[in-house]
Amino acid sequence: MNTIAEHIADFLKKYPPFDNLTFQELTEISLSIRVINLEKHKVLFQINDALHDSFYVVASGVINLSVIADAEETLLNKCYEGDIFGLRPFFAKNNYMMTAKAREETIIYAIPIATFRPFVANNSDVLDFLLHSFASNTSNPSDKENTRGSLISDNVYYSEQQSEIQYFQSLTYNVTPIISTASSIIQEVAQLMTNALSTSAVVCENTFPVGIVTNTDMCAKIATGRIPISSTVDKIMSSPVVTVVENVSLAEAQLLMLKYNVTHLCVTQDGTDKSAVKGVISEHDLIVAQASNPGVLIKEIKRSQNPKDLKSIRERLTELIQKSIHKNIPLSHVNNLASEINLAIIKRSVELSILDLGSPPARFAWLCIGSQGRKEQLLTTDQDSILIFEDVTADKYRDVKDYFLKLGKRTTSILEKIGYEPCPYGHMGSNMLWCKSLTDWTNQYNSWMNTPGENSNELSSIFFDFEIVIGEKKIEEAIENVVYNNLRNNTLFFDFLGNDALKRNSPLTFFKKFNVEEKGPNKDKFDIKTKALMPLIDGARLFSLSHSMRGINNTYLRFKQLAMADPKNSEVYLNCAKAFLILSKYRTMEGLKNDSSGQYINLLELSKADKEIIKSALAPMDELEDLIKNKFQLTQFS
Amino acid sequence: MLDWIKNINKEYPDFWKRYLSKFEKKSNRFVVISAETTGLSLEKDVIVSLGAFAIINNSIVIRDSFETVIAQYKFFHENGISNEFTIETKMKKMGEYEAIQALVEFIGNAVLVGHHIDFDVEMINVALERLDCGRLKNEALDIDVMHRKLLDINNKQFSLEELCKIYKIPVSDRNSSSEDAYKIALLFLKLKSRLGLN
Repeated sequence: MNTIAEHIADFLKKYPPFDNLTFQELTEISLSIRVINLEKHKVLFQINDALHDSFYVVASGVINLSVIADAEETLLNKCYEGDIFGLRPFFAKNNYMMTAKAREETIIYAIPIATFRPFVANNSDVLDFLLHSFASNTSNPSDKENTRGSLISDNVYYSEQQSEIQYFQSLTYNVTPIISTASSIIQEVAQLMTNALSTSAVVCENTFPVGIVTNTDMCAKIATGRIPISSTVDKIMSSPVVTVVENVSLAEAQLLMLKYNVTHLCVTQDGTDKSAVKGVISEHDLIVAQASNPGVLIKEIKRSQNPKDLKSIRERLTELIQKSIHKNIPLSHVNNLASEINLAIIKRSVELSILDLGSPPARFAWLCIGSQGRKEQLLTTDQDSILIFEDVTADKYRDVKDYFLKLGKRTTSILEKIGYEPCPYGHMGSNMLWCKSLTDWTNQYNSWMNTPGENSNELSSIFFDFEIVIGEKKIEEAIENVVYNNLRNNTLFFDFLGNDALKRNSPLTFFKKFNVEEKGPNKDKFDIKTKALMPLIDGARLFSLSHSMRGINNTYLRFKQLAMADPKNSEVYLNCAKAFLILSKYRTMEGLKNDSSGQYINLLELSKADKEIIKSALAPMDELEDLIKNKFQLTQFS
Repeated sequence: MLDWIKNINKEYPDFWKRYLSKFEKKSNRFVVISAETTGLSLEKDVIVSLGAFAIINNSIVIRDSFETVIAQYKFFHENGISNEFTIETKMKKMGEYEAIQALVEFIGNAVLVGHHIDFDVEMINVALERLDCGRLKNEALDIDVMHRKLLDINNKQFSLEELCKIYKIPVSDRNSSSEDAYKIALLFLKLKSRLGLN
């Protein structure tokens, strides 16, 4: 007997869902509890952390659940004494989607999922409580008069009504499962599964399912050597199969998996194992259904076969971005999401070209430069990319270069079909100039950085924001090394970049009016890209290069990082980071409204308040400019 | 003064030898102990109950705990104290030999934590001596000392109740060494994070 375990059981008994369990059961659960003390502002888990093996109950103190968008923290809920949180590991396998942080000094009980799961499976009230709470994202159902929730869903991307719809949506699943007979040889079935990239195979007799073999079975029964690989499938299959009807909802599927503790469900015509197999639902299908649309988009991108498919996906991404901005999801989040999807689209385009042309004769890397390289591409702006291939012997050089030029051309034309305009300056992998061997690129960067301004007028600073899309990671690293080795004591180069950053016209006139275009098709519109965003982007790049920061290409993150690296001026950097987000948001909204790149803002359509917001977001630019002038002696090129 | 010579060829009990051999490795486990005694004299008084919890990775592991009431019938009889509590308690009862042996096995090479731990350790050492064993070798941390270090106070001692009040540990009506050990464990976690010992 354990006195403290009993005290904890006494405590838990007061709160749902524990009030459904007996004291004995609670004492047993309490025994496996770990008690954790969190000091004020201590983070227990945050977005994208791998799932813990426990969920948590607040014993005393307060835990804030929030979505942190680096800059601002959106509070979702507060958990007080007796509240449960961190339920995600019960229902999903992907990482946490929110941050749990102690608002004051807090003591929490960590209950291992493994201990609690049997109680959930055996007690439908407990299961209902957890499921309902996880699904509806609202307050504790038994606690309606009380506005604060005892239980919070860890899904945050949907608003309340939507999540319920989502939860009862039907699932997309594999409708052509691998079928084998009981007498098939295990090795053959495993080969079939591997070929089809499937995690399961249904074992059938006369088209009726009698069992199922999953990766888990293969691992637990074959890899451990308990059953030889040459025996028949019926030795290792799980039988009987858990079967469901077609059109099963996400909620139902999840419930059944939990109840029977399985990872796969077999879909049959009438829902029993006495009818024909229609498909297999795997745990992964549930994750995809829950992890909201981005996951689905990426999956579809990977499967798409032609530019037309990709185009429709890109259009859906635009929709998603629009919705996200509408719902006030922090822009840095949307940025990340959009750039991942953009990256996947470009990657797929290269892959499609390779499928057409045959496999490449040498290793290569396709790098995105410019806005996509910085992961800031929300709208379909122009494509900027470069192609680097490994050094080959002189006799092969022509053929290799020829192949990669073709690859570049094909890819850019696919991208054009999807809706990415070609770069007006020709900064693309299809251009002779930007499709080169590693040595040539090394020389190129060396000459840019050591003799800027001479015979290399085409130097555009976007070449210093790059991100690999597909190919050999080592090539990207090699170029990165060239850049960072050349940075040391290179005042000339910084001088050049500094002047480049400062040469743009100021966004406001002497009278604090917007400096609008004076002629051309965009007369009287404000060029937010070159006059407001570019100076910030250039400034961030300049400073982060001078601090030799590697691996951070994003303007917003660069400023954030700079604030830490250079605490003296941290305020300036943080203001710039904020301003950047505000300005890009306006640009994106403008772009979405007019289906353009959003470069020119029509001031007539803006409200007075919006104009003021933009103006105040322009203020940190002056400070940044002063900082640049102070730090770098800009003499040579001015 | 020449005690060590007397001990030079002494054969220790097996559990003690096992205990000593554990110190070849360093431990990442803390064990919070609390001993309830009949008084403050090392010679005259005895331990009547023991409570202990393990702390691993900054969390109290409820299952990894130890508690027992020590049946001191002889002592109670000699001092004319009622045996009632010992007889009626539902907690696990052990003789002193058994209890001390079990405790030594439980703590192993962990770092000990307690409130005025020196006294508890001395009490245990006296009991160990009766079992022909040596003294505890564990490192020991005192939460009162930690608290005073945090606030830079040198001239005052704090009782467990006072510390609980300062750090807002909920007080419970029940009192046992296990209860005390749990409170000390919570205090230790709080002090540890405040002192930045991680």
